[in-house]
Amino acid sequence: MTEPVNIRPPLLRVENLRTYFYSRVKRAFVRSVDGVDLEVERGETLGIVGESGSGKSVTMLSAVGLVTAGPGVITGNVTFHDEAPQNLLQGLDSNVEIKHRNGRIMHIAKNNQSWQKQADLNLRGVRGGKISMIFQNPRAALNPFETVGQQIAESVRLHTGMKSAIQAKERALYWLEQVRIDSPHLRYDNHPYGLSGGMSQRAMIAMALAAEPRMLIADEPTTGLDATIQARIVDLLDDLKTRLGMTMVLISHDIGVISRLSNRIAVMYGGRVLETGPTAEVLDERADGHPYTRALLASTPRRENITESGHLPAIEGEVLDTINVPCGCRFRERCQRINDTVHTRCETSEPELFEIAPGRRIRCWLYSPQ
Amino acid sequence: MSQPILEVIELRKHFYQRRGLLDALTREADDRIIPAVDGVSFSLHENETLGLVGESGCGKTTTGKAILKLMSMNGGKILYQNTDITAYTPAQFRPLRRDIQMIFQDLDAALNPKICIADTLREAIRIREPDADATAVQHQIYELLDLVNLKKNKLSNFPSELSGGEKRRVGIARVLAVRPKMIVADEPTSALDVSIQAQVINLLRDLQAQFGLSFLFISHDLQLVELMSHRVAVMYLGQIVEMGPAKEIAHSPRHPYTSVLWSSIVEKRSMEVPSGAGPNAWGVFDFERPSGGCRFAPRCPIYAQRGRPIECTDPNSPPTLKSINQSHMVACHFPL
Amino acid sequence: MKKKFHQDVDTVSEYSQLSAWKSASTSDRLNVVYGFAVVLVVAVSYVLGAFGWLPHDPEAMDLDTMMADPFTNGYLLGTDFMGRDILTRLILGIQAYFLPSVLAVFIALGLGSLLGVLSGYWRRRFETPVTYFSNLIDSLPRMVLMLLVIAAFRPSIYTIMVVFGITTAPTIAMLVKGKVMMLRERNFIESAVALGLSPGVIIFKHILWFNCRALLLIQATIGMAEAVLLETSLSYLGFGVQEPTPSWGNMVQAGANYLLQGNFWPSTAPAIAIMLTVLGFHLLGDGLNNILEGRQNR
Repeated sequence: MTEPVNIRPPLLRVENLRTYFYSRVKRAFVRSVDGVDLEVERGETLGIVGESGSGKSVTMLSAVGLVTAGPGVITGNVTFHDEAPQNLLQGLDSNVEIKHRNGRIMHIAKNNQSWQKQADLNLRGVRGGKISMIFQNPRAALNPFETVGQQIAESVRLHTGMKSAIQAKERALYWLEQVRIDSPHLRYDNHPYGLSGGMSQRAMIAMALAAEPRMLIADEPTTGLDATIQARIVDLLDDLKTRLGMTMVLISHDIGVISRLSNRIAVMYGGRVLETGPTAEVLDERADGHPYTRALLASTPRRENITESGHLPAIEGEVLDTINVPCGCRFRERCQRINDTVHTRCETSEPELFEIAPGRRIRCWLYSPQ
Repeated sequence: MSQPILEVIELRKHFYQRRGLLDALTREADDRIIPAVDGVSFSLHENETLGLVGESGCGKTTTGKAILKLMSMNGGKILYQNTDITAYTPAQFRPLRRDIQMIFQDLDAALNPKICIADTLREAIRIREPDADATAVQHQIYELLDLVNLKKNKLSNFPSELSGGEKRRVGIARVLAVRPKMIVADEPTSALDVSIQAQVINLLRDLQAQFGLSFLFISHDLQLVELMSHRVAVMYLGQIVEMGPAKEIAHSPRHPYTSVLWSSIVEKRSMEVPSGAGPNAWGVFDFERPSGGCRFAPRCPIYAQRGRPIECTDPNSPPTLKSINQSHMVACHFPL
Repeated sequence: MKKKFHQDVDTVSEYSQLSAWKSASTSDRLNVVYGFAVVLVVAVSYVLGAFGWLPHDPEAMDLDTMMADPFTNGYLLGTDFMGRDILTRLILGIQAYFLPSVLAVFIALGLGSLLGVLSGYWRRRFETPVTYFSNLIDSLPRMVLMLLVIAAFRPSIYTIMVVFGITTAPTIAMLVKGKVMMLRERNFIESAVALGLSPGVIIFKHILWFNCRALLLIQATIGMAEAVLLETSLSYLGFGVQEPTPSWGNMVQAGANYLLQGNFWPSTAPAIAIMLTVLGFHLLGDGLNNILEGRQNR
């Protein structure tokens, strides 16, 4: 009998995360993240795909304690296992009181101040240092009053052992070269407004990597850039992944970007994960998959998708508004594959994430073990 | 195809960037001219969709707005149904606005946030029929809602209460209310969720079939444009670099930029070659010091492949649109 | 401090947007209520005065009851130094400033909007001439101008108010111009042009009515307050309405002679009236500003 391979635990594990926001106008909770479970293995890139309102960005922002609006994160565990496991949301329960009715959360009392303090304590050294983030709008992340080089050097000094100014500058230049920015020495002294969209995105990536993180979270890194610039940033991220062996969580609504860069994909809709699995399988239109993903792929504007009637098979209805969440499956109002066998179950209870193969899970009654 | 409904000839639009004080003192005090649209020519026929593709800054939106006279032009001619409307005053042009309409890129563009949907549509209907009585107008409002698949209970809502897809549909309904003959659609699906985009695309195709509309379909997405258009024109930095039937442009492009664009969009893979020659290497075109000749040369993989031929950067022989076959034109010294 | 969030219903199917009134603060609401009450009282009193429905004859001198305190003998606010009923004279005093102030506000808003719209919408043609014109008017000292007008023409309050209106117009023109310029760049104006709406409709309906309403209303309240102060100041100085016709200003002036005697009421009553009225207009404008404009910025 062979020895079981020592499989290291996932670098990041999110369990039952719930992040709610409160709408004063509608006097109801916006259930942005409504019970999400995710795992990120070491060395892999997890792509989180979803439309607006799916909760994909908020999930990762919650994991690193960047959600400040009320009530924010209310339950969940986020375990970051670098050398030792560490719950980033520890001490949460003592600050939150929840009252249920009929299985729904009706009342939340949260001490936001003390929660933030606890979160900041938990995340010290982790946020920015071991887990780094890059965002959609690079100009928003860069300080317009400092030069690019200074900001990268600051990141080096804060998060690595190099404290001297000269060492930090050398390291900053090294990272600028790594992100293939042209004329790194020139760009070191540029201010962010002197850089184009693509270049400032590279600068932000350099700043994030200069901290030498274990994991990089990229939240819509290519959205808003020109098509040809997007392609170059994607090439860059691909290159960095291979060379540095980075673990990455990539959040995007663009299936093309996700498919190029991710090893595994999680599809989110209405605050929940609907399916996970290896990229090729999730995006394979002929294989088994969640009706939402299949319908989404079939409706993307490509000539191949046009049916005989001259139409694209569009998903009818509107994207789920996470305030009025229907009972049963969240996608059932727009689902085309409901049949008589599953009809009742779809309407009354929400399916679990059924594991149809190791590492491949689908939240749909059509794939339940019975 | 018969006579073109719209002809644009050598359209030019410049933006001026005023020199700062220091520059005026130290260098020549010319205001910087940015040729956003630099000699664009095309024609649009009835019942046809011409796609205009390019990235930001290529001048496609500016071209669209110039056709609608929302921007003044610096040169060229526009012919609508064979009449030269270039020099029309705003008052002369206003009756023609019913025929030429625009769907704006911004979802909120068509909608005054303080006016409810019913009143917005009513206002548009009254442009065409100022004397219609209230019942006739109400009837037409319902017709428009049916055309764009919008529920009647949205009539009393304000724009802030609608979703993205619904706002886009109201914008389309408003444009249809004046019964145009051609529509300039500027990125009609960009701001929408993927699952909603298909709905809007189907709607636009249906409307074209039903009303015989002509579309100038502006987008950065080559795949989408291939789907929607009969013919496609590819723009780069203010000029058309390739124009031809949609299928040929998409699947057998002849201009290096088109092929780079296609691979960027479909495979998210960059085919460009960094020439390492300073800031221009990464495609930041400097209008101040134009390298002369072909504008795409610094980024062109063919330019690098062929060992940087001198024709490409010779300012005396810039590439011009030449026909390859009956319907396909390319502006390149070394077409693929 | 736990912040509490409560969800009302299981599923929310419809919602109503909180109206501007409901989301306003208490102080703003109080201001508007008070200011509105003042406007109402003034308007009603004007009508009463115009028709002569007064409690007493304003010129009837009751020599037995002079300098009486309020609530004596059916004189609700007492009598002045000549035995005339103060309440009646206060009501009648509104005649002196009401119509002229309204005229001033009309001229200021009308001329100001016109100049603002011209210079904001057709900037290339009108911005420079309108700016020169505004600067010219602004540079004239208002008080001096009015005294000149009084000296040159009849000392009529209407002429003075016309001058007041014209000299206030540049401020309003600048505010309107700012708004118009900002709105002109907004997408929905561009699309209104593209749709084929005439410039008239775009300016009056989309820009002025829907977006400048609040601004103009608030400027109207401020203008009224200033006009009231102007009229009362002028008649206090003796340049306005003359005795025995009552004006709040000349009532203050006349009663001032008796202050040292300890009879402060005949002078103070109209002064308080002035203060409450001007305060009312200002508070109305301030409250409306916070409620209406604050909402737009949300």
